[in-house]
Amino acid sequence: MTFYVLQALNGLAYSMLLFLLAAGLSLIFGLMDVVNLAHGGFYMLGAYLGLSFVRWTGSFWVAVVLVPPLVAAGGFLLEWEFLRPLYRRTHLDQILLTFGFAFVISDVVRWLWGAEVQSLAAPPGLDRSIPMLGTLFPAYRLFVIALGGALALGLWLGLSRTRLGAIVRAGVANKEMTQAMGINIAAVFTGVFAFGTGLAGLAGVIAAPIQGVFPGVDFETLIVTLIVVVVGGLGTLTGSFWGSLLIGEAETFGKTLLPEAALVVIYLVMAAVLLVRPRGLFGGRTR
Amino acid sequence: MTRAAWPAAAVVLALVPLGLSRYVTTTLTEILIYAIFAMSLDLLVGYTGLVSLGHAAFFGIAAYTVGLLSAHGATALALTLPAGVAAGAAAALLVGVFALRAAGVYFLMLTLAFAQMAFAVAHQWAGVTGGTNGLAGIARPAVPGLDLGPPVPFYYLVFILFVAAAWLLRRIAASPFGAALVGIRENEARMRAMGFDTFRLKLGAFVIAGAAAGLSGVLFAYYNGFVSPDVLYWTSSGQVLIMVLLGGAGTLAGPALGAGVVLVLQNLASSYTARWTLILGAAFILVVLAAPRGLVGLLTGRWARSS
Amino acid sequence: MAPARKAGGWSGTARRITRRQFLGAAALGGAALAAGVRLSGGMRAGRFGVPAALAAGPVKIGLLVSYSKVYGQLGEDITDGMILYFDSVKWRGGGRQITWIREDEEIDPQVGVRKARKLIEADRVDLLAGIVATPTAYAIRDMVHNSKTILIVSNAGGNLLTRARKSPYIFRVSFTSWQVSYPFGKWFYSNIAREAALTAANYGFGTESLAAFKESFIPAGGKVVGEVLPPLNNTDYAPYITQVQKLNPEAIYNFYSGSDAVRFVAQAAQYGLMKSTRVTGAGFMVEQDVLPAEGANALGITNPLHWALTLQNPENRAFTRAYRDRFKRDASVFAMQGFDTARVIVEGLNRTNGDTSDKDRLSEALAGVKFASPRGAFEFDPNTHNVIQTVYVRQVRQVGKDIANVVFDNLGRITDPGK
Repeated sequence: MTFYVLQALNGLAYSMLLFLLAAGLSLIFGLMDVVNLAHGGFYMLGAYLGLSFVRWTGSFWVAVVLVPPLVAAGGFLLEWEFLRPLYRRTHLDQILLTFGFAFVISDVVRWLWGAEVQSLAAPPGLDRSIPMLGTLFPAYRLFVIALGGALALGLWLGLSRTRLGAIVRAGVANKEMTQAMGINIAAVFTGVFAFGTGLAGLAGVIAAPIQGVFPGVDFETLIVTLIVVVVGGLGTLTGSFWGSLLIGEAETFGKTLLPEAALVVIYLVMAAVLLVRPRGLFGGRTR
Repeated sequence: MTRAAWPAAAVVLALVPLGLSRYVTTTLTEILIYAIFAMSLDLLVGYTGLVSLGHAAFFGIAAYTVGLLSAHGATALALTLPAGVAAGAAAALLVGVFALRAAGVYFLMLTLAFAQMAFAVAHQWAGVTGGTNGLAGIARPAVPGLDLGPPVPFYYLVFILFVAAAWLLRRIAASPFGAALVGIRENEARMRAMGFDTFRLKLGAFVIAGAAAGLSGVLFAYYNGFVSPDVLYWTSSGQVLIMVLLGGAGTLAGPALGAGVVLVLQNLASSYTARWTLILGAAFILVVLAAPRGLVGLLTGRWARSS
Repeated sequence: MAPARKAGGWSGTARRITRRQFLGAAALGGAALAAGVRLSGGMRAGRFGVPAALAAGPVKIGLLVSYSKVYGQLGEDITDGMILYFDSVKWRGGGRQITWIREDEEIDPQVGVRKARKLIEADRVDLLAGIVATPTAYAIRDMVHNSKTILIVSNAGGNLLTRARKSPYIFRVSFTSWQVSYPFGKWFYSNIAREAALTAANYGFGTESLAAFKESFIPAGGKVVGEVLPPLNNTDYAPYITQVQKLNPEAIYNFYSGSDAVRFVAQAAQYGLMKSTRVTGAGFMVEQDVLPAEGANALGITNPLHWALTLQNPENRAFTRAYRDRFKRDASVFAMQGFDTARVIVEGLNRTNGDTSDKDRLSEALAGVKFASPRGAFEFDPNTHNVIQTVYVRQVRQVGKDIANVVFDNLGRITDPGK
């Protein structure tokens, strides 16, 4: 019994990391119909920048505060300079553009930081293991669970209770109408894109002590994030949250209960969800 | 210009082994194999508007079919070629029935999912597929009276099949079926309103594309003499998608050209610099922003894509 | 539907680039590349080549290792090890100058085959060296054997290359996965525990290592209480570690390498596995390419490998010091393997007086090469052309300010059975 509780907790920490990534990607797609294939690259950038900041300042928390805005700036640049001209064009072109950027970011990171596997230690205070349920559980993972939950709550409140959130929700539901009502939808696009990218950067820093920092983490993470977003439903925060939980726990329990199928569990889950609900768990927009 | 281009290219390609070095012949063989693969994807992406990130599944399944047959002593081309093509088509039918119910990003993800599942099977089922080490030692196929071992005869086999595939795909594209596919790309709802069974049409395109990808997969297995799970990994699907888009989707000639350009560029660039991924990414971005009809667009003067 | 936007940015620029300019730029780029192709007969200077020798007929070596992706560091280490040795003999062997062309295998067998074909057919190298990844080695084996190209494998450890798929033209300077793990099974039974849980990344190298361990562990009387096999490139080991803890083993034997090793070791420490169980693993789990990232988490791990940075013999002391002085970082087993690769090539050339045209003669000469390597005595098995070497037992310990693998026992000279 404790075994399953422990695994569930493992899965929960993983789910929260996925949520940070999926939330940004889902909102970006929901609002702008853009599949940002460079999302994984920004995640990786966040991890590597986090590594450097910790080396320069000696403080993990400084990195957590400074890195997301930096990465968000990168997202802002991508959207403002390169993506905007393509909104008139097809999704194919956007995919290609962000794909190109994914490659560029991938190689620039390797160029600047090298190809070795690096690791980032959890900050002092959180690098202990807490005795619980008959074994030791890393305090840092508990922190990730708490942080994820807090962010989920914050995002939900932000979307549902603030004016800005209402604007974003309106944009997701009906861009033309929102624009017709006088809102500068272009600014909202840029803002959401930058914010979502910043979240990815934050996820990168937070995940680094667990996942390690190495080339290749961008595309690996991108695939899982896309699955979460599709399972949850594009464009909904609720969808990202529950999708992350589902995929996170499915992956964790899949590894223990179905070891031979470990590589495919999440794909099977996604295929199954889409068969029953073709727009994901909470996706429902007609488009 | 395009009308004369195909026969002219065919003549040039036919003469290559007679004049140029062994290395050029073998490189061109690989390019032609990928050209078939890319053209098959173009039927989906360029004509029907279905962006698939799992096309390598059919390529890889056919390649593994050849590998397994070869390991069990079946080497006759008359057997392995149809077997591989059929495997590709059958897999496409299976995937298509499920994935084509969705559209847009959902379709993309489903194709990706199926390809990743095929990858996982190849990766894990080591007893049958050789696992990460793959299946090596695939001998050239047996054709009565011919030795396909040396590069030149094998090149001509690939060349002939390339010409056949290109001709077939062009005929299909130019047929009413092809026109219907384009109609679906432009506006599926309208096609349905006009009475077309768009699901059947899309499935048909999917299966044809899968069969053609299977053909290239068979040739690929023979060319390399081995097959490993990497052919099924999503980056393999990504690479062929890149070939289609860089070359110019919707033209068939574009993807064939794209295959050559990407392979040559990758090879050359990576011999000179470790930064070739950066170059590839930058080339993409440049093409998207400045040359959306791809290389074919540049060469035929149709500069900007009509919206 | 597009938002109203200001002009400028890329779309404005795009309109200003005319078709002619674009084609012109492309043509220039193409011409530059074509010029480069003409020059690619091994006479390139720069990052991937050494300027061609002034003396007649230099020996051309094709070096194919990974410079990109996760195993990029291994490729760099092998290359640097080779440079260190070649420098010491002034890049001469058998009376001829030595040059090389380097290519990136990218850990993708398809790419590896393409590059090998280029090196063999277009660049016409006299011999091939390198190969980090086993699938790539298997993929090029037939091409190498059929073209009678001498291949000196600097890393790839798949057993088959020394067994069912061996070739008189293929020499292995590194190891077979069997060689490292087999002798440790028996030692583990006598020195660590009678019961073990096994875990490994689920791919060729991992499963071969566990099988080799069991081959000597079980006949000695050992009992395997469970096996846990995470997939290759797994990021979250928590579910697997929890599984291992459920088995409550006295000791475990693992196989991981690269980023998998770093993650596994870090997460195992976080979950207290290092304290509750004796942790052992094939040496790659804590070798120099990953040990710095693992740090104190790796302390105490007992591991077998055919070399160690701290190995005390004159050749190793000289090698590690020279490597450190030259490259400003510690050598790794991969660097050592590169160093020996270069030495084998030079010794082989010396024995044929520089004749590389008769491949059978060169093959025989290489097979007879013997010398004192930083790892101990080095020789080839005449039947399999695989190295015969001593395997050491090491433990990760604190040595002054550093954390290093300290050798404290020896498993003897190990020869791969060859079948």
